[in-house]
Amino acid sequence: METMINVENLCKTFKIQRRSTGFTGAVKNIFRPTYEYKKAVNDVSFSINEGEMVGFIGPNGAGKSTTVKMLSGILHPDSGSISVAGYIPHKQRKDYVANIGVVFGQKSQISWDLSPLDSYEVIKHIYRIPDKLYKDNLERYTELLDMSDFIDRPVRQLSLGQRMRADIAAALLHSPKIVFFDEPTIGIDVVGKDKIRRFIKTLNETDNITMIFTTHDMQDIEQTCQRLIIIDDGKKLYDGSLENVKSGCVSTRIIEAEIEDMTNGIDIDHTQITHDESSGKLIVTFDTDKISTSEVMSQLMSTNSVKDISIKEPGIDAVIRDIYEGKIKVRAATRVSADASVGAVAFSNVCHRQTAPQADTRF
Amino acid sequence: MNRYLQFAVIRFKSKTAYRFDYFLGILNSLLSFVVYYSIYKALYGGAQSIDGISFSMVTTSFLISLGLSSAFNKNEMFLQDKIKQGTIANELLKPVNFKLRMLFEDAGEGAFNVVFNFLPTALIAALFANICAPSGAINMLLCIASVILGYIVLWQISFIVQCWSFWLFSVWGLVTIKNVVINILAGSYIPMWFMPEKIRSILRFTPFESIYFMPVQLYLGGLSQWEILLGFLRQLAWIAGLYVIGELCWRSGIKRLVIQGG
Repeated sequence: METMINVENLCKTFKIQRRSTGFTGAVKNIFRPTYEYKKAVNDVSFSINEGEMVGFIGPNGAGKSTTVKMLSGILHPDSGSISVAGYIPHKQRKDYVANIGVVFGQKSQISWDLSPLDSYEVIKHIYRIPDKLYKDNLERYTELLDMSDFIDRPVRQLSLGQRMRADIAAALLHSPKIVFFDEPTIGIDVVGKDKIRRFIKTLNETDNITMIFTTHDMQDIEQTCQRLIIIDDGKKLYDGSLENVKSGCVSTRIIEAEIEDMTNGIDIDHTQITHDESSGKLIVTFDTDKISTSEVMSQLMSTNSVKDISIKEPGIDAVIRDIYEGKIKVRAATRVSADASVGAVAFSNVCHRQTAPQADTRF
Repeated sequence: MNRYLQFAVIRFKSKTAYRFDYFLGILNSLLSFVVYYSIYKALYGGAQSIDGISFSMVTTSFLISLGLSSAFNKNEMFLQDKIKQGTIANELLKPVNFKLRMLFEDAGEGAFNVVFNFLPTALIAALFANICAPSGAINMLLCIASVILGYIVLWQISFIVQCWSFWLFSVWGLVTIKNVVINILAGSYIPMWFMPEKIRSILRFTPFESIYFMPVQLYLGGLSQWEILLGFLRQLAWIAGLYVIGELCWRSGIKRLVIQGG
């Protein structure tokens, strides 16, 4: 497989004015502004093959969007190199952007006063899309994204979900080889998200488009991507398969129990027990490799009178949160080939987490 | 259709979406014409001509200046707003030259202004004021050519000022100062005829004279061939010079661009 995107030692620093508050502060801001420098992207390297679909995640301010903007030729990197489909994005911007599509969840690309259809006509001319391709794509996207109801209404009258779909179609009309999605599902309801995800997945599978997908919604990633890159504080934390991250939570279980008399101290080996004040429930977290679920339950029931009990497995959200918060150490994972087994997360201390579980198995 | 022309067309189209704005625009233009007309009528005080310049020449000059300022449309907050709101990201994603795209969009709105604002105003003005006819077909063509060159000069000055948005948060103040200076020095407020000779001889070397006053003179006739040639050469020289400055500003600005808002 051919390498589509290659990023090496990418760095970008922003100069931020530190504002003092109050009146004297305001005067000081005018005459002697002070600046600080923030490393938004700090020595990030990765490479992505043609047709790959990569989830790009990290907490707010991690540097995801900055990276995507450098990849799309909008921002100039301070140092490091980027090569996408043989172009250097920021140097050959005009020619390069004809080959890519970018969707910004927070910034609409279609004209406010016009209907999506009018905007598409403009895009057709700007990108010099051949009539046939334009017609085929428009027809296909209208159907896949379910846009026939609103395609001729002014954009300002559309709902956020409709506008987002119209925006996605706009970014793909010229059949780009590479597409960057920057939080395309932000603020969209469940049904809308689902439509978008399915569309993205279909397109990746049938058209072999290389995609990078940044989001805060882990379900977006779970349903579309095979590979995950996690960055935080401008640095790459993880680069590897999504399966690897998910498998980290396979052996962890959480038991929530409602117990009648809480006065007895409860202590079970290999588990971590906390008491949730608000619900009055006992939360027992453990690793099934060390102690079996039945063992924990029998110990729990033998010493207490249990009113209600449920077993949960933490979802990928919880794992990601732990990676962000540094509770899980990530093994340095530099991806060399398309083989997804290189990156790995060390889940040795998963059990010490006290996060809200996701999947719910109730008795 | 040319991809840049497309930006002009889209601007033209979206302007038609606001009808009330359009009627107010005509009223606004008429009012400013009436104000100038009345002031100069009082100044002339019934005299046929002052310094060989007749009242109808002055009136015509105003009307042309009015038409030019509506044709010379530029959205001077364009770059600032795009940078402030971060939507410049979307602009840079289009496979087009940013500057040309901006120019054409402005020109599209300019065309709208001429057709839907200036022409109705001119027709109404011609009903009650004495307006000179163009001095000949060739002169009229030269006048239009000069208008286009003048627009490019004016637009590039605006672009350079707008490029300051990369460094400053707001360029409104700069833009306002620039416009007042241009309007005075270019003879849009006071026709060049009435400027002191010393000032005029200095202004000849600035890009300003060719913006408003050259088209007016070509329309009215009375320039020698030598003067016309010199005028056009001066316009072209300024276009080239301003292009280089604009390009330098843009290139150093875009390197330090920060995309606001996520």
